Amino acid sequence: MSDARGPNETSTDGAQPGGSEGPGYTTPQAAIEESTPEKVAYVMGLYVGTDVDAPDFLGVVDVDPDSDTYTEVIDRVEMPNRGDELHHFGWNACSSSCHTEGLERRHLVIPGQRSSRIHIVDTNDRRNPELTKVIEPEEVFEHDLSAPHTVHCIPDGNILISMLGDRDGDLPGGFLALDEDFEVEGRWEPPGEIEMNYDYWYQPRHDVMVSSEWAAPKTYYPGFDLDDVEAGNYGQRIHVWDWEDRTVEQTLDLGEEGLIPLEVRFLHSPEATHGYVGAALSSNVFHFYDAGDEWRAESVIDVDAREHEGWEMPVPGLVTDLLVSMDDRYLFFSNWLHGDVRMYDISDPSNPRLADRIWAGGHFGDPAPVQNRELAGGPQMLQLSLDGERLYWTTSLFSSWDNQFYPEEAERGSVMLKADVNPRRGTMQLDEEFLVDFGELPTGPARAHEIRWPDGDCTSDVWQ
Amino acid sequence: MSGSSVHETVLSWSAGHERVIGARADESVLSAAERADLALPFGCRTGACATCTGRVVDGRIEHSRPPRALKDRHLAAGYVLLCIAEPRSDCRIEVGSDVQTELVSNPWK
Ligand code: FES
Repeated sequence: MSDARGPNETSTDGAQPGGSEGPGYTTPQAAIEESTPEKVAYVMGLYVGTDVDAPDFLGVVDVDPDSDTYTEVIDRVEMPNRGDELHHFGWNACSSSCHTEGLERRHLVIPGQRSSRIHIVDTNDRRNPELTKVIEPEEVFEHDLSAPHTVHCIPDGNILISMLGDRDGDLPGGFLALDEDFEVEGRWEPPGEIEMNYDYWYQPRHDVMVSSEWAAPKTYYPGFDLDDVEAGNYGQRIHVWDWEDRTVEQTLDLGEEGLIPLEVRFLHSPEATHGYVGAALSSNVFHFYDAGDEWRAESVIDVDAREHEGWEMPVPGLVTDLLVSMDDRYLFFSNWLHGDVRMYDISDPSNPRLADRIWAGGHFGDPAPVQNRELAGGPQMLQLSLDGERLYWTTSLFSSWDNQFYPEEAERGSVMLKADVNPRRGTMQLDEEFLVDFGELPTGPARAHEIRWPDGDCTSDVWQ
Repeated sequence: MSGSSVHETVLSWSAGHERVIGARADESVLSAAERADLALPFGCRTGACATCTGRVVDGRIEHSRPPRALKDRHLAAGYVLLCIAEPRSDCRIEVGSDVQTELVSNPWK
């Protein structure tokens, strides 16, 4: 579809993309066929932990090549407080509710990782979104939870947020539920099901959810300390949940090869019982699947640590983000410390085949500047267009970890980059014309983190 | 501000500048700085995240709750969490975001 006034231009005034009654598209294939190219991206921008006296913000980035303001941050929704560390965020509704009349994919739920404050932003006007509600930390602490991370809508209009700690920033974490009006409903699961938490993904058709483990907030907040790894303070397990019962059915210990399992991605097909999780520290990608009587997880990609001149120990790639294309054909992931983005063909989910990779920034990428801009970090949060042809990424991981591994990023700010993907050939090419420089903002250089599209994306849409 | 429980607290940034504020014995250094319209880094405000880390070079402070984000080696070196640190005497404290970054280094380097 090339109609310039497709769903990307109109606000959601009742006419939903894809012709369904509710938000989103009826199937992943419909998302590919019926979507028009993305025109704006919502990107987290951060000042937390720096001396810049400004709050974090939601950035609106113009990604429409025909626009006069292409590659510029055209609007910033500032949060009311400093100190949030906006990190991951999600929609109030996704394709999982596409048959639920009356729901709209319109509000972004934006948690502060450090503050535990939760913001609701109305994107009815796509280029000028508006903050409409704030849930203060005290309300979250009341449920003995803190450090909100992943936001998914659940098919009935409610919203679920993974929480990494208890009210003191210690273990255990859990899940917080919000209702349709963004009121805190309370804890979603019976307390005590898990200790550590991080990301999660659900497949309602199979009544399953898989969650991963980072660490206690008090462990990862200050920065990365090898002593904590030795003390067993970092996670290496994933949890398979009964989605209806909200209880853990099985816990899979990934062992040493699975240290710090972060992002969890199921394939998009609602029929699929295959998914991937990236283990950041051991730099492996695990394939998990339903083997009939139980779930299994196997390491299918191993990124070798590399010697760095002048550094004492071999450096892991640090697989910090991964995503699956909407057609479930490719897996992309980032090696934040090494500096490459990889593309694997996953037609056979248990045997990923390296298709292509790009070096950009990082400690090994011989970081060539893009448009004369030195890159201060490595590839990190990824987002792919619904048609699978444009891959975008930002470079910041987490403020304290950035300062540890890429100290220059605080002064230079992050960048957002893009590669053109050819899904037929399985190739990628860095688009040298595309550079969004978060170092050039009026309030000072900012870090840039997760990316979302108004019409759903490869890291948030679920089908029922 | 009144009475003997106000402690003169010197905040010093690595860039070289300094500011003197009065901090009450029952308020955190972070709150006292905010009252004086000074922006210091912070995050959780509960002692879990270390974003607000400062280093006491002179004087005495007490944490009003356990400083969970700091390890023993940090406490021994004088690091404090300004969101829960209350002065017990006149103090001199290094502040600013680079104090937090001193807590951890790149373990591979
Ligand atoms: S602001 Fe988090 S420890 Fe002080």
